[in-house]
Amino acid sequence: MLTITLEALIVPLFVLGGMGLLLGLGLAYAADVLKVEIDARIEKVIELLPGFNCGACGYPGCAGFGEGIVEGEVEQLSLCKPGKDSDYNAIMEYLKSTPGPDGKIVEVKK
Amino acid sequence: MTWTVFAVAIFNAMLINNVILKQFLGICPFLGVSKKSSSAVGMGAAVTFVMVIASFVTYAIYSYVLVPYGIEYISTIAFILVIASLVQLVEMILKKFSKPLYKSLGIYLPLITTNCAILGVAEGNISNIYTNYGSSGMWLAVFTALGTALGFTLIIFAFSSVREKLESSNVPDAWKGVPISLVVAGIMSIAFLGLQGIL
Ligand code: SF4
Repeated sequence: MLTITLEALIVPLFVLGGMGLLLGLGLAYAADVLKVEIDARIEKVIELLPGFNCGACGYPGCAGFGEGIVEGEVEQLSLCKPGKDSDYNAIMEYLKSTPGPDGKIVEVKK
Repeated sequence: MTWTVFAVAIFNAMLINNVILKQFLGICPFLGVSKKSSSAVGMGAAVTFVMVIASFVTYAIYSYVLVPYGIEYISTIAFILVIASLVQLVEMILKKFSKPLYKSLGIYLPLITTNCAILGVAEGNISNIYTNYGSSGMWLAVFTALGTALGFTLIIFAFSSVREKLESSNVPDAWKGVPISLVVAGIMSIAFLGLQGIL
């Protein structure tokens, strides 16, 4: 019969849990020290993109494309090949209705 | 251990048993971030940072925590935990101090977490070095990791330079882009076979 001691169960749990806790706290501290202000719209636009990270748009991933849109480098939303009309419309509507921190509105074509 | 041991470890890991061309680890960033040599070097630096620190930390955790408690079997999970945290840290640092590099690495930066080269080196250190030297092999492990990372950087840089040249050369249509790059990678790998057996 297979016998499992309590110790054999608890030790790995505590070791991994402890490591996770330490590393997590370290990261939380680092995140606080290394915080950067970013335009809140970028995150929202990235959320509205299809999220395949396929790179068809010419950026290395959706995050890059989203940033490009908000910063005005992207000329056409349809560069994102997997995107559908509904995605493009949602992004255009969102950008139209939300001015940036400097009060300007980003314009993009479909 | 003398310095020659470390030098041999670096040389061996960097050129003779090159991660990419000999062990075929870390192929994802090798193909993904090698279009521009500047981002290739950035990737190499990020991988170097993560690999060296991860090897040090995982070796220490293995020899001072996992072995004394007799729970070596969780090493893979424990190592992944360390690597993932380090990658997060690198991501934050790059985002703060080098926005262009952060952008050009894109999704490949968080993907260092799953870069098999890093876990491969950490596990390789355990199976090749720990079993022979025990906890005193720590520095040898760190130097092996450094050599591996330098080898990675060297190859990804060389490959990206070739790819930059390919951009402007006259390649048959069907071979443009990835296909010809894969051929180049294969030729580089064969070239590195020539270094076999030096040590
Ligand atoms: S083409 Fe669209 S889905 Fe693919 S990476 Fe770019 S934004 Fe993301």
